[in-house]
Amino acid sequence: MWVPILGLIIGLLIGSVIAIPIPASLAKYLSIAVLAALDSAFGGIRAIFDDTFDATILLSGFFTNTLIAALLAYLGDQLGVDIYMAAVFAFGVRLFQNLAIIRRYGILKWKNRRENAKIKRDQGE
Amino acid sequence: MKKNWKLPMTFVMFMIGVLLASALISLGSDKEPPSKSRSDTLISMIEAQEKERQELTETIMAKREELEQFKLGVTGGEKEMEALQYELDRLHTLSGISEVVGQGISITLDDNTKGYEVAKGKNQEQVKPDDYLIHDRHLLYIVYDLRAAGAEAISINGERVINSTDIRCAGTTIGVDNITIGPPFVIKAIGDPDKMTNILEEETSQYNILVKADFPVKLKKHSKVNIEAYKGGYQFSYAQPKEEQ
Repeated sequence: MWVPILGLIIGLLIGSVIAIPIPASLAKYLSIAVLAALDSAFGGIRAIFDDTFDATILLSGFFTNTLIAALLAYLGDQLGVDIYMAAVFAFGVRLFQNLAIIRRYGILKWKNRRENAKIKRDQGE
Repeated sequence: MKKNWKLPMTFVMFMIGVLLASALISLGSDKEPPSKSRSDTLISMIEAQEKERQELTETIMAKREELEQFKLGVTGGEKEMEALQYELDRLHTLSGISEVVGQGISITLDDNTKGYEVAKGKNQEQVKPDDYLIHDRHLLYIVYDLRAAGAEAISINGERVINSTDIRCAGTTIGVDNITIGPPFVIKAIGDPDKMTNILEEETSQYNILVKADFPVKLKKHSKVNIEAYKGGYQFSYAQPKEEQ
């Protein structure tokens, strides 16, 4: 449970230490890539709760989503179409949906645990 | 729950961390400079344009002088040319491209900042700052009054007013032939000082209205007023003299 969070923190630290200089014109696409990556991560967490987790799906989704989102946003800018907005919308909606499902699972798990503890306590007495 | 999720998730989270950190850093560092550099480029653009205009003005003056030299060369020694030369000088004076001297008046106009402060102190909401400023129309009306009084040469803050001169609002300044000037405005006019003063001080004249509105304005008669030459160019692309038949 704590290992991925540790990974995030280490990633943040390394990212800020090496501080890859990105031109302002490309920063927008990087932001889209971050959004896509976050979407993949939340999708993965949800899959863990759903018991449908598959490392191949997660990793392939992570790479294709981040790269293609950035590329499509770039292409959209070249064509004068705001595909950027479409990506923000699509990832944003899914992100919040996954977040809601994860929250529901979390609450359910917590309630179950409390109930189990209660039963155990009752049995113990 | 499958056991093998930890490593891929850690990897994904790690990548998110790297991406997020670099995105935040690049956005944070680039936020300030663009607006600053934008205003800097605009300032340098304006400065470059002003310099260019100055250079062009100088070119016009130099060309005009050159032309004068040529004319002197042509007219030198030839008597029949003298009448033409005289006519040319007269036209120069009329068109405003020569500096002129004579008796006249000077008018100084300034924004009524004191009046604005007082009015603002009394009634904050209804006071319009516009009502306490000298506008392009004030200058226009005064110039027309001066012309009606027979002024032969007029300048505003050193810019000669000729027959094609435009006086227009330019934001917080006023443009006279697209040269921006600001308060205090000094209008100089050559002509009959008494006649000009009389017309300016008429009940309904713009100058008198400004006096009554407590604007800091001054009118002075002079026995000698110096009025600068017109520095700009003439453009006649459409109008042509009608051919005599």
